[in-house]
Amino acid sequence: MVFASKMPSLRIDQSDLKCKNGCNFFGNPQWQGYCSKCHREQLQRQRWAEKGLTATLPKPVQKKMERSLKLSSHSSFSKFEEKRLRQSETLKNKTNLLKFSVFSKSKSSEIQDQTPERKPPEFKVPATVYEMMKKDWAENFSNLPVQVDRECRVFVHRFIWDVINSSYVMNVDELSERVQRYYQQFIKYTDNSPHLVSAEPELKERLIDFVEKHAMTYLHDLPGVVFSPHGTEDERLDRAMSERIQQLSWVGEKHLECKLDHSNECSQLLYKAISELLAMDGAPFGGGKLAHVRRACLHVLELCGAPASADDLLPKLIFTVLKANPPRLVSNINFVTRFCNAQRLMTGEAGYYFTNLCCAVSFIENLTAESLSMDKKEFDCYMAMPASIGGSTWAAALSLCGAVKEAEEQRQHAEKLMEEIKKLQDDAEQLANNAETFEKEIAKKVQDVLAKTPLEIKPRRELPRLRVLRNSTGPLIDLETSKTVPEEDKQKIPQINIPDKPQDKIDLQFETLNTRTENILSFDMDKSPPKSPQNQPWESKQTGSFELLTPSPISFPLFDSRSIDERMDELMTPEEFGPDNLSLGLSNINYDIDLSDLSGDNSYAEDTPKEPKDPFSPDGIKKEPLFDPFAPQTSNYAILEKFDEFTLVDTKNKDASDSFEVVHRTNDFQTNAERSDPFGPVQAEATSILDENNSPSGACLLPSPLLPQSSKKT
Amino acid sequence: MAREFDHLFKLLIIGDSGVGKSCLLLRFADNTFSGSYITTIGVDFKIRTLEINGERVKLQIWDTAGQERFRTITSTYYRGTHGVIVVYDVTNGESFANVKRWLHEIEQNCDVVNKVLVGNKNDCPSRKVVVTEDAQRFANQMNIPLFETSAKENINVEEMFLTITKMVLRSKLEMKERQNVTANDTVNLKKSHKGKKKCCH
Repeated sequence: MVFASKMPSLRIDQSDLKCKNGCNFFGNPQWQGYCSKCHREQLQRQRWAEKGLTATLPKPVQKKMERSLKLSSHSSFSKFEEKRLRQSETLKNKTNLLKFSVFSKSKSSEIQDQTPERKPPEFKVPATVYEMMKKDWAENFSNLPVQVDRECRVFVHRFIWDVINSSYVMNVDELSERVQRYYQQFIKYTDNSPHLVSAEPELKERLIDFVEKHAMTYLHDLPGVVFSPHGTEDERLDRAMSERIQQLSWVGEKHLECKLDHSNECSQLLYKAISELLAMDGAPFGGGKLAHVRRACLHVLELCGAPASADDLLPKLIFTVLKANPPRLVSNINFVTRFCNAQRLMTGEAGYYFTNLCCAVSFIENLTAESLSMDKKEFDCYMAMPASIGGSTWAAALSLCGAVKEAEEQRQHAEKLMEEIKKLQDDAEQLANNAETFEKEIAKKVQDVLAKTPLEIKPRRELPRLRVLRNSTGPLIDLETSKTVPEEDKQKIPQINIPDKPQDKIDLQFETLNTRTENILSFDMDKSPPKSPQNQPWESKQTGSFELLTPSPISFPLFDSRSIDERMDELMTPEEFGPDNLSLGLSNINYDIDLSDLSGDNSYAEDTPKEPKDPFSPDGIKKEPLFDPFAPQTSNYAILEKFDEFTLVDTKNKDASDSFEVVHRTNDFQTNAERSDPFGPVQAEATSILDENNSPSGACLLPSPLLPQSSKKT
Repeated sequence: MAREFDHLFKLLIIGDSGVGKSCLLLRFADNTFSGSYITTIGVDFKIRTLEINGERVKLQIWDTAGQERFRTITSTYYRGTHGVIVVYDVTNGESFANVKRWLHEIEQNCDVVNKVLVGNKNDCPSRKVVVTEDAQRFANQMNIPLFETSAKENINVEEMFLTITKMVLRSKLEMKERQNVTANDTVNLKKSHKGKKKCCH
């Protein structure tokens, strides 16, 4: 550090007595070696530093509020406010002052050294800065050695870090000097670096700009550090300037003696210049701001017509600034003058135009009636006029220009959109074509494949089986049931025709089941026809004896009333079958596990083709235990239920059987065993199915008396 | 290292409005010269490289607005200026009278700067108002070289610019020397100071 390198001196000479700031006034040890004025400034800076230290980075929100507050407050009031702040701050800082040694000037170096300690150590230059640098580097300096990139980043880091630290203890001019010294340092680096020996001077300049850009882009956005820094009046001056320009809106080209024709071209150029000036505020670093100023001035020069001299440029630039009223103009100018690479500012095109802008601004600041070569009274009149009245034809022309520009932009946007739409349409068409060709191709392929492998329609396997089935059962079926069979056949045939579909499969299962039950039914038809709800006459007859024995079926609404009826009919009537609960519980189980029977049927249906001649052979049902351990039990009852269902369907068709059933039912249930006996081998086969299924678990769950009933039923 | 120049100087042209500052600049810039480099922007700002005593000097010449009303505000132009060319119109007595004010302006804004006095439009003797003798006397009094030029006829323009460039270059070299001397002095002082310290110990 520059300050630290200064050796402390024991001798006190004249220069030591002077203000440390070097303002040629004598300093006072009580003011830390500053003169009164510099000391006050120093205090103010310390105050800011302290404020800044509480939050590593000053809060932008706070500042904004302050700004708006300041905007609302009158200048005199803000002055008062400042004074008050200063007073309180001196009181606050008294303790601080004691910390500093009163005597030696060399303490300044200690203050310098202390700053990094006073600052919270967690402050870090955000990684985004480096990311941006890397990206920028890759774009612009990819041919340079990597070391330079690294060193640049290190330099930027040091630069930013030091500037932020210094900003708490230095005034703006000192800080500006420090920044300039950094630029100098970097310029020296570019001159001496072994990696840059062969580099063009232009490249070096770009490198310097690169470093400046990235360091300043970060610092620029930190409020109160480099852009309108704390302890300066930049913000107030900004507002004053803005107000003044507003007040001077009446100033026209004739006042400034610049010739401007009102042609469209002219106003277009002026509009461009103004937009560049307005854009200056948005650029986050000196170089960017200068670039905007330069472009603005070039537009103004164009406005002047060739050959344009400074005599033409300056008035027109003033006029442009007056019309533009750029935001934060003073802050921007000060920022550039303080923290832009001075080398560039003093020389070069951008520097020249920036100087012109400075001149324009200072002219506006000091504008009087004399400088506009007009009568003072007239000038005062104009100035007293509310700003809103003082428009000119230019304002209208410019707003027109703005509108034209906007319209142009809109038009371009619309054109772009139109192009996009067209492109989309083309794409859509292409897609349609593709789809068409694809479709054709596919069709062709399909045809090819079909041609290669002709579809063979094989004779259906199920159909003959069913026919056989029907034929086999035919002789067993009664006249009544045989009537129904053709109807069912009609249903069956179209459904079985499409056996691939799963729903149809189920249908098929049902059908097969149906046929099976039908077949079984056919056995029973002549001997023990199933009863149905349609058997009302004898049922009602029967209920008389029923209700004495069993609870009302209504008390079990959850169950299928039919199945309950069924059970009641069959299970309750026997007197030895006392406990009603048991029978009900059993009926419940039956109903629940009904589905598994379907699977059993399914397997049955699948199996049937293999043995089409004997669809209701016990084998199919025997297989069920393989699928489900509960199967024996369930299949038994399920079959019973199925019977009910289908018998119901069947009985609907044949009313004639009712009388027969009535007779059968009213005949004693106790004689079941006797009844079952006379049946031939067919009946035995049916019972055998049930027996086999029942055997494993049915024995424990089912009371044995049930068996004869079911067997009787089947 | 292929640096295109050894020195970079900033020159300022000041003078009343309409004395031909821009024309002088234009003439100087348009004059083809071996190795000269002219940017093609406005007339107000020109760059040209000259070679003096084997050293390449890049000149940046800034034109300024000469209107009376802008006189007070031109101070910013002076920042970092190495040489100033004060121009008056030999056909306009008033412009010569204003030279004094311009010189005063320079004094206020720059500590040490090389100056030349230029009487432009010296191409029509019949219209000449400012007599050479008067101007010369004044120049001698101020210790400034005087040139009577004509941008129109391209008289003396080149010489004038060469002279001011040489002056600036010389003063820069002198300054460098002086800096070296002062640098040496400081080094000596420090050394002696250290010695003293040693002695004390």
